[in-house]
Amino acid sequence: MSTVAAPTLEQTRPKTHALGKLKFVIGGLLILGAIAYVTLTSFQSNSIYYLTLNELNTQRATVIGQPVRVNAPLDKSSIQFDNSTLTLKFDLKDSGLVLPVVYKGVVPDTLTEGESVVVEGHLGADGVFQASTILVKCPSKYETQPTAAAAK
Amino acid sequence: MADFAMADLGYVSLLLCLILSLYAAGAAFFAVRRKRPEVFASAKNAVFVVAALSTLAVGILEWALITHQFQLEYVAIETSRAQPLLYDISALWGGQEGSLLFWAWLLAMFSAIVLIQNHDQNQELLPYVISGLALSQAFFFALMTIVADPSQAGFFVALPLNATLAGSLVGNPFRVLNFTPADGNGLNPLLQNPGMFIHPVAQYLGYVGFTVPFAFAMAALFTGRLSDVWIRTTRRWTLFAWLFLSLGLLFGMQWAYVELGWGGYWGWDPVENASLMPWLTGTAFLHSVMIQERRGMLKVWNLVLVMLTFILSILGTFITRSGVIQSVHAFGVSSLGPWFLAFLAVTLLAFLYLLFNRMDHLKEENELDSLISRESSFLLNNLILVGAAFATLWGTIFPMVSEGITGKKVTVGAPFFDQVNGPIFLALIVLIGICPLIGWRRATAENLIRNFLRPFAVSLIVAIALIVLGIREWYGVVAFSATAFVLATIGLEFYRGVLARHRQYNENLVAAAVNLVTNNRRRYGGYIVHIGVILGVIGIAGSSFYQVDTQANLKPGETVQLKQYTVQFDGLQAYPTENHDVVSARLTILENGSRVGTMSPEKDYYTSPDPNQSQSTTEVAVRTTPLEDLYIILAGFDTTAGTATLKVIVNPLVVWLWVGFGVLIAGTVIAAWPDPREEHALIRARVKEALAQA
Repeated sequence: MSTVAAPTLEQTRPKTHALGKLKFVIGGLLILGAIAYVTLTSFQSNSIYYLTLNELNTQRATVIGQPVRVNAPLDKSSIQFDNSTLTLKFDLKDSGLVLPVVYKGVVPDTLTEGESVVVEGHLGADGVFQASTILVKCPSKYETQPTAAAAK
Repeated sequence: MADFAMADLGYVSLLLCLILSLYAAGAAFFAVRRKRPEVFASAKNAVFVVAALSTLAVGILEWALITHQFQLEYVAIETSRAQPLLYDISALWGGQEGSLLFWAWLLAMFSAIVLIQNHDQNQELLPYVISGLALSQAFFFALMTIVADPSQAGFFVALPLNATLAGSLVGNPFRVLNFTPADGNGLNPLLQNPGMFIHPVAQYLGYVGFTVPFAFAMAALFTGRLSDVWIRTTRRWTLFAWLFLSLGLLFGMQWAYVELGWGGYWGWDPVENASLMPWLTGTAFLHSVMIQERRGMLKVWNLVLVMLTFILSILGTFITRSGVIQSVHAFGVSSLGPWFLAFLAVTLLAFLYLLFNRMDHLKEENELDSLISRESSFLLNNLILVGAAFATLWGTIFPMVSEGITGKKVTVGAPFFDQVNGPIFLALIVLIGICPLIGWRRATAENLIRNFLRPFAVSLIVAIALIVLGIREWYGVVAFSATAFVLATIGLEFYRGVLARHRQYNENLVAAAVNLVTNNRRRYGGYIVHIGVILGVIGIAGSSFYQVDTQANLKPGETVQLKQYTVQFDGLQAYPTENHDVVSARLTILENGSRVGTMSPEKDYYTSPDPNQSQSTTEVAVRTTPLEDLYIILAGFDTTAGTATLKVIVNPLVVWLWVGFGVLIAGTVIAAWPDPREEHALIRARVKEALAQA
């Protein structure tokens, strides 16, 4: 099993060592470089700004039509769901700002207990946010809070 | 703190565990430095007592969960009267405090097992191993007993001598409420799935399991005994941890597939990434140790890999527990995060300090000879696995980093991870075919032709066949012909081995195959794992490249068509069960016009005394065949009109992902099964090390 290289072999080719090492270093760097390159380029082409409602509002002009992610509190009373077309409409509300959101597809089970929602999509020129993904964010996600009385 | 004797007993047990873990760590270290065997015996006893006391604490918490002792805050949050017993039991790891206890308990048990396994061997390493394991345990016991939430109280440590202090100890599973609620909140309905019983447990066994090889690595660094003894000693621990990380991934994916109701099993969610990263580095470690065992090379690299795997395991827990990264797994807002980061930082610094101090013991015994060799291909496999882990890490933590540096939060989603990891994993697949068969040191042209010419021909034939059959997407053709290449190399290797035995020992082909595997468990177990991985890749490629879906709003009697399937909606059905109400859509499925069965996707409604806690879950219906899954979601319904909106998905080849995992598990068990040849190799390594030390 552990018959290791014959030392004579090592000694017969002393000159190849420096060169041998170099070619491995170059090979390794090339591969790591390739991985880093793919990572960085895909990162640039896929990264999206993550904004609050306030930031979205102040940057309105530049972000219209651009893919963005917005995180804001959900106005639960505004949730409307059309069963036949699977169209979900709701408002995100934060410090006086209101963002109407439209989403088509299967509604996440946790939406109704969501404190705040992350929507990914783009802001239309009409001021309505077209969401392609919704992620429900609730502080009580998997750990429900004790009821108000139980808390203290 | 209200008066509740069992809670006090639980808390005091944990506090004793903390004290005794610290004692064990200190005593073991002192004993070996001052050559005091009686002190070491006492340190060992402390480890056993910690195992017993933490078992007691787990027992108390389980008892409280099962018998609904709602005056315990954890019990009130995680269980309810209506909740089935199964989920009361699994509530132990359903919340943060319980998970911490579960982790610490597993580690305490593992430490005791390590002591028993090594009662007559590895005496030079053992004291340091015990110190390392005990320190790691102490960290978790401290989180539960004495540390406060840094966001509220700073890095503040205290004994909970009064109620205010006890309330700030966020990790304490035995916090008592000052009144007894009539009922508890219960586990989140999304967690009420049999997956809850196995996925987290497997994940924890994997995460915690990697602590053992890491402790041995640190001990090897401390003592300067850096031959392959520590690696061979912990080989089966590493395989054990890796096996359970794999199981954790499998059960997590299956759970997501049936419970989250979006037709997929992997979404590059931060917590999924957190479980993938240590699996990737652990896989790299399992491979690169072979180079050290065989050729005495890659010593530093192996230490770094086991350290990375350990750190990424803790990071996984940190990400899950802290809620710092948004995810479907995020627990409540809790700020134990900084403590985890501090622990990671200390571990990393200690490792690096030791590593640089021991550099002279870490000389390579051999050097790389040729780019076309087994060693190079393993190195390449390692670079790729670690590269994938880092690309994934980058995408996962970048939002935090960018916010910290620029103030702007930038994130990436699934497309980033697909784009980066797609090509990386494709390269890895091809290497799975090449690595095990390429010659050591310097592969000859003869070796290459003998092993790879025919598999290469097979992959070309498969590629041509796929194109003829009408598959035009280049990525599909490339992925499937790469898997064909790998399967052909492994098949060829098995065929040669069986034929050789058949000729040499005159065994029949079945006996030859069985003996081939049982006489070379590690090697052929490894091949079987590779077959499993390739089957999994086939499932992943099929379902990610060729998924099709449609949706339709149907009245009773109406149908929707997708590929060869006709889904006929027969009507809605509503009925209550033990702890929730169900609305289901009854569907008849026709394939090419003939009836093949019924399916009934559901929505389940969980009500709770607190209306804010009421929740619904979507239960999908799946019909699996070897070729594809028919996956149906009840996305919406209208009980007055009697209509239902269905989302219908066809996921090709998904079942092969699950089959592949099954094969992978079987292969790992074969590779880890006790093998006299490995025992002998370990003894030889010990002798060699002893001679070198003398």
